Amino acid sequence: MTVPDPAPEPGQSPGRSYHRLSPLTPLVRSAILVVAVAVSSWDDLLRGAPGPIGIVALALLVVGAVVGTASWLRTKYWIEADELRVDTGLVSRQSRRIRVDRIQGIDVVQPFVARLLGLAELRMDVAGGGAREGSLAFLRLSEAEALREKLLSRRDAVRAGESGSGPDAVAQQGSPHRVVARLDLRTLVVSLVLSPTTVGFLVSSAALGGLFLAMGGIGGFAGAVPLVIGWGITQFRRLSAFYDFTVTTTGDPGAGNGAGTGGRPDTGQDTVPGVHVRRGLFERSAQTVALERVQGVVVTEPWMWSPMGWARLDVSVAGQAHGGQGGNEPSLSTVMPVAPRAEVLDLARLLLSVSSRSGSADLRDVRLTRPPTRARWVAPVRRRFLAVGVGEHLVVSAQGVLGRRTHAVPHERVQSLQLHQRPWQRFLGLADVGVDSPPGPVAVRARHRDAEEARRLLEQLSEATRRARLSGS
Amino acid sequence: MDDLFAPPGHDWRPVSPALARLRHLLLVALVVVAVAALVVAGVLGVPRWAWLSAVAVVLLAGVAGWVLVARNAGWWAYAERDDELYVRHGAMFRTLVVVPYGRMQYVDVHAGPLEQAFGVASVHLHTASPGTSARIPGLPAAEASRLRDRLTELGESQAAGL
Repeated sequence: MTVPDPAPEPGQSPGRSYHRLSPLTPLVRSAILVVAVAVSSWDDLLRGAPGPIGIVALALLVVGAVVGTASWLRTKYWIEADELRVDTGLVSRQSRRIRVDRIQGIDVVQPFVARLLGLAELRMDVAGGGAREGSLAFLRLSEAEALREKLLSRRDAVRAGESGSGPDAVAQQGSPHRVVARLDLRTLVVSLVLSPTTVGFLVSSAALGGLFLAMGGIGGFAGAVPLVIGWGITQFRRLSAFYDFTVTTTGDPGAGNGAGTGGRPDTGQDTVPGVHVRRGLFERSAQTVALERVQGVVVTEPWMWSPMGWARLDVSVAGQAHGGQGGNEPSLSTVMPVAPRAEVLDLARLLLSVSSRSGSADLRDVRLTRPPTRARWVAPVRRRFLAVGVGEHLVVSAQGVLGRRTHAVPHERVQSLQLHQRPWQRFLGLADVGVDSPPGPVAVRARHRDAEEARRLLEQLSEATRRARLSGS
Repeated sequence: MDDLFAPPGHDWRPVSPALARLRHLLLVALVVVAVAALVVAGVLGVPRWAWLSAVAVVLLAGVAGWVLVARNAGWWAYAERDDELYVRHGAMFRTLVVVPYGRMQYVDVHAGPLEQAFGVASVHLHTASPGTSARIPGLPAAEASRLRDRLTELGESQAAGL
C-alpha cells in the first residue's frame, strides 16, 4: 500500500512515501450500524418499500460511508526519523508523532468483524500509565505484524544506540519466537466445566429444582432455563477469550539477566526479553509482557482442579491496568488460564527470571511455613491454609481455603513493607506483615505470624530488598 | 513503648503535640454540636429521660474519645534511617510502615485551614503501590518542609526503577 505522495503538504518532507490504512476500515467501523440498519428495516426491505425509519437509517449509513471513506483518505502514517507519524482529521487536521523509543509495547488486536476480513488493529503502549494513546485501525494482519516488528526493531536499535549495547540488542531482535506453552482445547473445556461458576450453577439449579419439587410442579424446572443459558454464555465467553492460548518468548531471558539488563540504565522501560500471549476465538489479541516490568505472580489452584493437578498463572505488570480480579474472568493479567502445576511454575520462573536477576527464581525453592497454632483463635479454618516463606530472590505467601493462591514477589520489586497488629492479635502475640506491590493481582501477605517472627521477617525483607535494589540499579 | 514497633538502633521522632490539641478541639466541637442538637430535641418535646440519657451517652463517648485521641496521637512517630523511612501509628490497631527512599514516587505536603491555624502540616509519601500508607500528620510546618526536601533528595539519589 505504499503510494508516493502526489502533493506534499507544507511541513512535510517532499518525496516521502506514506501508508494508508486498509480501505475496508470504514466498513469495519460501521459494521454495527450496517447490522442495525438491516435489523430495523428488515421487513421493509423484504417488502421492497422502505418505511420512514428505514430511509433515515439508510441516509445515516450513506453519510457514514462518505465520512468514513473521506476520513480513510485523510489518514496516513509513515515512519520518519525514529518517529511514527499518524496524520488524521477530516475537518481539523491532526498530526500525531509517536517516538519509537517511547513505545513500551505493541499489541495486535483483531475484533470479530475485523478478523472476518483479515484486518487487525495496532495498539501502542506509550509512556507510563494505562492509557493507550497510539492506535492504528485497521491494517491487514500481515501488514500490522510487519509494522509491529519494524517499530520494535527500530525502537531497540534507538535504545541500544543510546545505551551503547547495540549488537547485543539487535542480535536478540532477530531471534524467533519460541513457544513456551500452548493450551489445548480439551484442557480448557474441562477446566471450564470444573470451575466455581459451574459449582454455583449446579448448587443454584439444585436449590431451584428442590424448591419446585417441594411445591409439587415438575414444570417448574423451566425456571432453570435462564440459569443454563447464563452459565453457557459465561463459559462460552471464557472459552472464546482463552481459545488457542499460546505463550511465546523472544530473546533468551537467561541472557537478559546479565549484560542485557545491566547495560540499560532506565529499568522502567521494557527490554527485548518478553513473553507474548496470543489468545481468542473471535477476537484474536496479542499481548506482550516485558519481563523487566513484571512485579510478581499469582499461582491459583482451585480445589476442583486438584485431581488433575492444574493451576492458573496471573502476573502483575507495572503500568498495566488489570481486568477482573480473582474469579475466572478473562483478564489481561492471566498469562496461563490452566495448565499442569509444573508447567505453570516453570512459566512463573521464566516471568520472574529478569526481575530477580537470577536463574533460581523458582517458587519451588522457597520453603513455606505455617503460622503458630494459637492463630486458630483468630482464623480457625484459614490458619491451615496460610503460609509464608522468604527465598534468596523471592518472598512467597499462600492462602485460600477453596483453592490455594500462591503469591510471589521478587525482592527487587518490593515497594514498601508493613507490620500490622490488631488488638486481639496483640493479646495472642501475633502480627501481620504485608508487602506492597503496584496495582495488580499480586499481594504477598504473612498473616497471623508470631509477633517476634513477624518483626524478624520485616527486618529480613527490608535487608533483602535493600540488597536487591542496590545490585539492581 | 513496644519493642515490636521500634526502629532498629534509632529513636522515634514524635509528631507535634499540636496534633492532639487539634483533634481534641474537633472532638469537643463534635460533642458540643451533638449536645446542642439533643437540647433542641428536648425543647421540642422529646421525653426528658430520653434526651438526658442521650446527653449522658454523648458526654461519656466524648471522654472516652478524649483519652483515645491522646493515646493515638502519641503513637504517631517516624524515623529516618539510611535507606528507609519508618512510620508508626495507631494505639489500638498498630501499624509500622517501612518505605525505602528509592521507591518513592512523590511526596505531598498538605495543610488544611485548621492545620494551618495550629501550625502543622501532614507529609504523605507515595510509592508505585497504592497500598503504601506512609502518611505523617501533625508535623510542625518547618519540619514538614524539611522532611519533604530531605525525602525528595534521598529519593533522587537512591531512585530504583519499577
